[in-house]
Amino acid sequence: MANTLRLYLTCIRNTMEAAMCLQNFPCQEVERHNKPEVELKTSPELLMNPVLICRNEAEKCLVETSINSLRVSIKVKQSDELENILTKKFLRFLSMRAEAFQVLRRKPVQGYDISFLFTNYHCEDMHKHKLIDFVMQFMEDIDKEISELKLSVNTRGHLVATEFLKQFI
Amino acid sequence: MVSIQQFSECITCHAWSPDQTMVAFCPNNTEVHIYKTVAEKWEKVHILQKHDQIISSIDWSIKTNRIVTASHDRNSYVWNLKMSEWVPSLVILRLNRAALCVKWSPEENKFAVGSGAKTVCVCYYEQENDWWISKLIRKKHNSSVTSIAWHPENILLATTSTDGKCRVFSTFIKGVDTRDSRTGAGSRFGEQIMQLDLSHTWTFGVKWSPCGDTLAYTGQDSMIYFVGDIGVSPTAQSLAFRHLPLRDVLFVSEKMLIGVGFDCEPMVFAADGSGTWSFISLLEKKTAPSGSKYGSQFTGAFGKFYGQSKHGSSNDLIEPAKPRGGAHENCITCIIPIKKEGETWTGRFSTSGLDGKIVTWELENYIDILR
Repeated sequence: MANTLRLYLTCIRNTMEAAMCLQNFPCQEVERHNKPEVELKTSPELLMNPVLICRNEAEKCLVETSINSLRVSIKVKQSDELENILTKKFLRFLSMRAEAFQVLRRKPVQGYDISFLFTNYHCEDMHKHKLIDFVMQFMEDIDKEISELKLSVNTRGHLVATEFLKQFI
Repeated sequence: MVSIQQFSECITCHAWSPDQTMVAFCPNNTEVHIYKTVAEKWEKVHILQKHDQIISSIDWSIKTNRIVTASHDRNSYVWNLKMSEWVPSLVILRLNRAALCVKWSPEENKFAVGSGAKTVCVCYYEQENDWWISKLIRKKHNSSVTSIAWHPENILLATTSTDGKCRVFSTFIKGVDTRDSRTGAGSRFGEQIMQLDLSHTWTFGVKWSPCGDTLAYTGQDSMIYFVGDIGVSPTAQSLAFRHLPLRDVLFVSEKMLIGVGFDCEPMVFAADGSGTWSFISLLEKKTAPSGSKYGSQFTGAFGKFYGQSKHGSSNDLIEPAKPRGGAHENCITCIIPIKKEGETWTGRFSTSGLDGKIVTWELENYIDILR
């Protein structure tokens, strides 16, 4: 299991390394603006073909590149209802604090659970390999975090049920 | 490599003074800083403030000692040194988008500005009004003009654009140019000599070879393009390499070129006898990372096995990427020859990048690669 995850993450890392070749680029449609082209999509020639990396149907990652920005959207594995609701709540919690993470987007791209947006300014201020490491670490941790949460919810449910049923003995 | 100097957090572009004692650069903001070497130390001597958005390009003319700057605020200024003070004079660019690149012509009576307005302005001095006036090359580009290069004979101008094309124009201006040059004689201003559609992505870093026989430019798809026989039927060679894309190139000679870009290390390309270009190597051979190679495979496997059995899951699913060991730590955006007026070029050049360093290189130190 760990091995396939490693392949998946390595694939995403290599894709991001190649895609994170960004430069400062002022908007050519609106005067005196400088906005991430991957969000605005004003000129098709400034966008590259998006890359979709799937581990399976439930887990995938979309990498969209433009001349001055890179958007990485991740769909986290959700095998049952409980995982679904845990993921939703947990990522919502993070997204609401997007400013603290700098590269996090407040709203994920449709069909995905969480999105990161890298611009040329991030590449200027921070090390590129650290930025990629951050996403890798995040993806590794999120699975762990969700399964831990699930475990604790189940344990709690079990305990509550036992306590409740004691009165009938 | 001769010297590494950390000037600021991030440098967008830099240029050298005619006597090579001063360097002007933009520290990723609205100012131009000029540093001077005094007794082996760099001292800040001037700050040029006039722009109100980031400065995208600087060029310092060798013969006339003028600085021209282009900025995202749609303006360009020509700075003249008067009584140890840099005085800006306005350039009427008539642009409504950002200016992206600027270059003096070899004769230094004109300069060209590439812009996000999909136009190129060719500017010349008007004595009566004491300002620089521009003529526009309009409706030829389908996207922003990222880079420009002057042919040594002062008439032809090569441009690259984000629409993936490279074009060559005539910039003959009546009253400024004479009709005695070999290339572009008898052409009108703005006449398109050539258009190359080789790249699928945006292109930049266009340069002419010293004689003006070859043209090179790069694409974002890790390709470099060489064009010969400029004119009606040009010959072109597209070369793919396995590193990250290049941002800028510099011809060392007619047969050799150095490219810099997102891979943080200069790369050497050379042409063989038949004129076919190929990738030679990185300019600096990477030293093997410390840590013995001997037995590493076994210890690695053992450690992994041990770690897994101990903790159940391995924490080192993916090893963190290592920082590069080269002179630059971030993308190199600019490569400039260091040349004094009237002298032949000795093989010194400087590179600057987003890591805020200006690195000076001496080609003589890399004879083994060049051979």
